[in-house]
Amino acid sequence: MISVFKNFSFRIIELIPLLLLFYISLSGNSVIHLNFFTVNIHYILIYYWVLKQPRTIGYGFIFLSGIITDVIFGLPIGATALSLLIVSAVAAYARAVTVRINLINDWLTFIPALLFANFVYFIVLHLLDFSIDYISLFKNSIFTFIFYPVLWVIFSILLRFMKS
Amino acid sequence: METSRDDFSIAIRSAFLRKETQQRFSIFALVVLSLVLLLFEKFEVKPINYFRSFVKDVIYRGSIFVSYPSKGIGSTIGFVKNHINLYKNYDDLKKENISLKKNIFNSDYLKLENTQLRRLIDEQELSITNLISARVLLDKESPYLNSFVINLGSNKKIKNGMAVLDGSNFIGRIVDVNFFSSRVLLISDLNSKIPVITEPAGHHAILGGKGKNGAVLEYLPENHNIKNGDKVYTSGKEGIFSPGIPIGEIKIKDKNNISVSLFSDLNQVTFVNINLEKINSK
Repeated sequence: MISVFKNFSFRIIELIPLLLLFYISLSGNSVIHLNFFTVNIHYILIYYWVLKQPRTIGYGFIFLSGIITDVIFGLPIGATALSLLIVSAVAAYARAVTVRINLINDWLTFIPALLFANFVYFIVLHLLDFSIDYISLFKNSIFTFIFYPVLWVIFSILLRFMKS
Repeated sequence: METSRDDFSIAIRSAFLRKETQQRFSIFALVVLSLVLLLFEKFEVKPINYFRSFVKDVIYRGSIFVSYPSKGIGSTIGFVKNHINLYKNYDDLKKENISLKKNIFNSDYLKLENTQLRRLIDEQELSITNLISARVLLDKESPYLNSFVINLGSNKKIKNGMAVLDGSNFIGRIVDVNFFSSRVLLISDLNSKIPVITEPAGHHAILGGKGKNGAVLEYLPENHNIKNGDKVYTSGKEGIFSPGIPIGEIKIKDKNNISVSLFSDLNQVTFVNINLEKINSK
């Protein structure tokens, strides 16, 4: 009985990042508004888990959550999905080439992930004649980068909990 | 040199093409799928549109379900705040009521005069029978876009381009229609361009959205004599919207930056009216 309960609670903990991914997509909280700035927790969540433990969040789920975000925000379907996949690709590349894992390495490799993802996002919206507030997008990128260590610490605690 | 290039290509291949442990799809395949979906955005093919509408309706319903807890917390905070501000609100409303009572007789007369003048120029009036009410289903505040979803779609004969009103004030237009829901693009959105007329100067202009900063007047004549407090209405040009729907009043920051303070607070809209008139009559 105890082992069944342990197994069940382990499965639930394993699912937390995935549930969080779909929750933030469906509730429209992928970009959270704090008083003076916005942070894209979608990017951070995906980058962290693809980098650390890719089996937790599958690429298919990442794609699906991007599609959901596009529908919720009224963006062209595929735009967010594409930028999230770019973040995943950079994270997968960083995982393949990184030997030493620490916060500073992760944080620095998050810069190209943000740059590539937002560049693709910009190009796609521009080609589809879709105007957005690019200053907000730029500010969002900066604060997402600054906010990364906070979520890194939270997710690391969760990861340690999952591994234990 | 050769070795480092090999390492790079191996890492790239590993990142894009290899299916990792317990991954069903490679990133490359999903990127291609995303591009295909984006390509479909350009095509207006009926079966694809039906499928897209169905998917959107399902996601909107799912979003409402998932948003219940956060909505509940938000409404509880709002309820407590309202209670705290109750006395102050009561005082403000009392003052507002007195001033409105003073204006009411004046506005009745103006309404009558307006109706007679419109009849004289044979212009179509915006009548209550042409309006259909809808509830705001989803209002996710995107930092980049200003739009929301309402609970009526093609099932209630809603069509793209229809004017959306908050009470009698113009706040946006329909841009995406599904079976049971539609998306409203607000006038503050960067993609919104509405032909308007100012009063009393009578200048035609385009009202362009400025994101969170509201909306500004564009393409005004060079020697305009617009003043602070002038009113802005839909002009009815292009025949998309009925003319004379109130939008807001002018606030001049400088000669090249004429913003419009909207009559409706776009963050506080719960119910809207949709004007079925123009497009149905075509």
